[in-house]
Amino acid sequence: MHELSMAQGIINAVLETAQANNATDVNEVTVEVGRLAMINPEQLEFILEVLIENTIMEDAKIIFEEIPVEMDCNDCDFHGDAILDDSDHYAPLVKCPECGSLSVEILNGKDIVVKNIVIEKPDD
Amino acid sequence: MHQVADVEVAKNIMDANKRLADKNLKNLEEKDIFCVDFVGAIGSGKTTLVEEIIDNTDYKIGVLAGDVISKFDAGRIEKHNVPVVGLNTGKECHLDAHLVGHGLEDLPLDDLDMVIIENVGNLICPVDFDLGSHLRIVVVSVTEGDDTVEKHPIIFQTSDVVVINKVDLASAVGADADKMVADAQRLNPNIKVIKSSLKEGTGLDEIIKVIEEAMN
Repeated sequence: MHELSMAQGIINAVLETAQANNATDVNEVTVEVGRLAMINPEQLEFILEVLIENTIMEDAKIIFEEIPVEMDCNDCDFHGDAILDDSDHYAPLVKCPECGSLSVEILNGKDIVVKNIVIEKPDD
Repeated sequence: MHQVADVEVAKNIMDANKRLADKNLKNLEEKDIFCVDFVGAIGSGKTTLVEEIIDNTDYKIGVLAGDVISKFDAGRIEKHNVPVVGLNTGKECHLDAHLVGHGLEDLPLDDLDMVIIENVGNLICPVDFDLGSHLRIVVVSVTEGDDTVEKHPIIFQTSDVVVINKVDLASAVGADADKMVADAQRLNPNIKVIKSSLKEGTGLDEIIKVIEEAMN
């Protein structure tokens, strides 16, 4: 529901890097979205398409990759990727894959990261 | 001629908020201020709870009252003679650490020992935004329906305390408050669950007690 501010943050990051590298065009943008971020990639893509009009990333292909949920279990010693029970939810429950506990510390999987961009630039 | 290059960006869009949340927390801790933030749906009873805590404790409290566009909540709290800053998000559905940082600048922190943040009414978006508080309490009322807890798992998995409010109305709206308690405990075995009716004055002592336990 806050896709607009996220989209603006993504575009700022892309354009800053593109300008620093003398890009004339941005062809591709890869964005990693944590499985627990309260963001719907489809809505994010929609708002990105509106905001990038008339910029050098106007024709860029936006690729979304998922960041898995990394956790520590409070009930056993498991550390690693969680099981996500999304049978009833878009936003899933985070469970320990070893003992099934829901008593977990979530270490990763809530972030939104602009990973890399593919640009066109003049020959050096 | 031109060339195509793959350039690493590696920019975490959430980092800016996290850095500001850490700064808010440091700012508060330097002044020995305990900070609790209340999240919950519109009409769950967040503002009433803030008012009751002000009236029933001796802490020197300052309040940041979040709202999308109105100033009603800040106006209500002002009547209790505590410093309050209304934070309007304008279009966003949550407070972020940046707005809270500016709100803290407008509170007389040297005269306070507790800051209460009341978030925008929403059970979804605030999950993504740490504010720099010590304790997060989610307020949910039985009138929202007794499936509200299980429908919004992450906010319950990431909060420290849940207040299930308006239990006096449960039978009138056909809600089972104990189901909400059980759902919260299943989703987060570490969460503290308190049933309350702020209108009838039940549960408030327990809420104040868990805040005090977290302070020590």
